[in-house]
Amino acid sequence: MAELADALLAPLSQGFVLRALAAGTALGAVGALLGVFVVQRGLGLLSDGLAHATFGGLALGLLVATSVDGALWVALPFTVLIALGIQYVRRHTTLGGDVATGVFFAVSFAAGILFLGLRPASAPPVNVEGLLFGSLLAVSPGALVVILVVAALVVLVLAAIGPRLAYATFDPELAALSGVPVATLEYVLLALTALVVVVGVKTVGVVLVSAFVVIPAATANLLGRTPAIIAVLAVALGVGGTAFGLFASYHLNVATGATIILTLGALFFLALLLRRR
Amino acid sequence: MSEAIRARGVTIDLGTRRVLDDVSFDVERGEFTALCGPNGGGKTTFLKAALGLLPLRAGHVEVLGTTPHAARPQVGYVPQVKSFNTAFRARVADVIVANRRGSWPLRLGAEEREAARTALAAVGGERLLDESLTGLSGGEIQRVYLARALATGPALLLLDEPTAGVDARGRVEFLELLAGIAKRRELAVVLVTHSASAVRRLARRAVYLHTTLRAWGPPDEVLNREGEDGGAFSGQDHTNGSFCEDE
Repeated sequence: MAELADALLAPLSQGFVLRALAAGTALGAVGALLGVFVVQRGLGLLSDGLAHATFGGLALGLLVATSVDGALWVALPFTVLIALGIQYVRRHTTLGGDVATGVFFAVSFAAGILFLGLRPASAPPVNVEGLLFGSLLAVSPGALVVILVVAALVVLVLAAIGPRLAYATFDPELAALSGVPVATLEYVLLALTALVVVVGVKTVGVVLVSAFVVIPAATANLLGRTPAIIAVLAVALGVGGTAFGLFASYHLNVATGATIILTLGALFFLALLLRRR
Repeated sequence: MSEAIRARGVTIDLGTRRVLDDVSFDVERGEFTALCGPNGGGKTTFLKAALGLLPLRAGHVEVLGTTPHAARPQVGYVPQVKSFNTAFRARVADVIVANRRGSWPLRLGAEEREAARTALAAVGGERLLDESLTGLSGGEIQRVYLARALATGPALLLLDEPTAGVDARGRVEFLELLAGIAKRRELAVVLVTHSASAVRRLARRAVYLHTTLRAWGPPDEVLNREGEDGGAFSGQDHTNGSFCEDE
């Protein structure tokens, strides 16, 4: 038994696996926390749109930086601005959030393709596949620090605004009458989601990062009866699913990001079967 | 003492459309007023102006002698049934405590729970305390919302078609409950309704809004004025007219 445990945990003796575990579980936790609000507001597509916008930001960053890690510093403000733009359109027009997201996502992604084409021929080649599908096992110590700082920031801000944001999620008009700054909190929620999505792109890629936000929260929403229980469940599912997926991919020698998302997806379908009718 | 509501020359535009034009009337403290008129006539818009949620193009509204914003802690508001996010897992006790706290309670203290129970008991809904809001009937939800509004001890209650979508029996029960509480607590009430019978039975005065103030006074006079105004709405369902004889 002890030998089996040793064999299963053997990957932890390697630094790059430890970094991947720390980055993945941190993103799994804060993505799930944000997801509780995002999913209950019916904004599931938003994180997907922001992930595609991140591609535009990273491509813009690669015009001036030589590596994806360096381009992250352009992608962060770029994607936060896109998130604020989506929220502005939601609040000030009759277009829904999905339409606003669709417009910004398509324009950003198209701009990203254009930016990549504008890079000088002498610039180092860009691994587009790495951007699309991520490389959790290749997270550098510097990128890990950025992920942990963003995760800590999200936890601190949500601890401060969570109860008021929850009230605004239940009924924005009643919350506003109770003195909750509904519009400001919505901008903050979208900006935080943008930050998590940008740093998450490095780990599981543009195509899959929104799963960190949507799937654990959707699963918890099927099982939990109160917002507090849903939040705790979502974090547990995000962290547990990510850790399990990482170890499974290592031992099975298959793609890490995809295995994590498939694990989270399997938990979702299990919850569908187990939920109280 | 100042009026519960004092509206003078209230003019509100929503986009390019003028929804209220130079509307003036008063609601006395302790008075039950029915706010009537066709859909799009400006009833909900007026309530939102009295809650300080909409800017005025011209005129002013005083609520309990002060601005609508400053008066909010003394105003209870009951919105239409299921105006809330049904994807949000809200329990009845949380809904009531949120109004007292100004934020969503992740955990309830014993004192808060007791306050929620007391508020529910006042509307005959004590058994609903731990229920999920989405599992309740329209009539039960409106009892919870009334308890929520009363939990802060308001001097003025604003209700926006609280019985729309509630079955006939639930409508009668809710309005009788409301009338009793308003009388006992000497609350000023403004009830937006399409029910002519509710206007006659409950209100001391009625206001008939159709962008402008068409009538303001005793219920029978206002209902007669509505009839003279074309009577096109009488007897129709609330979804497309002013009044329906539903109770």
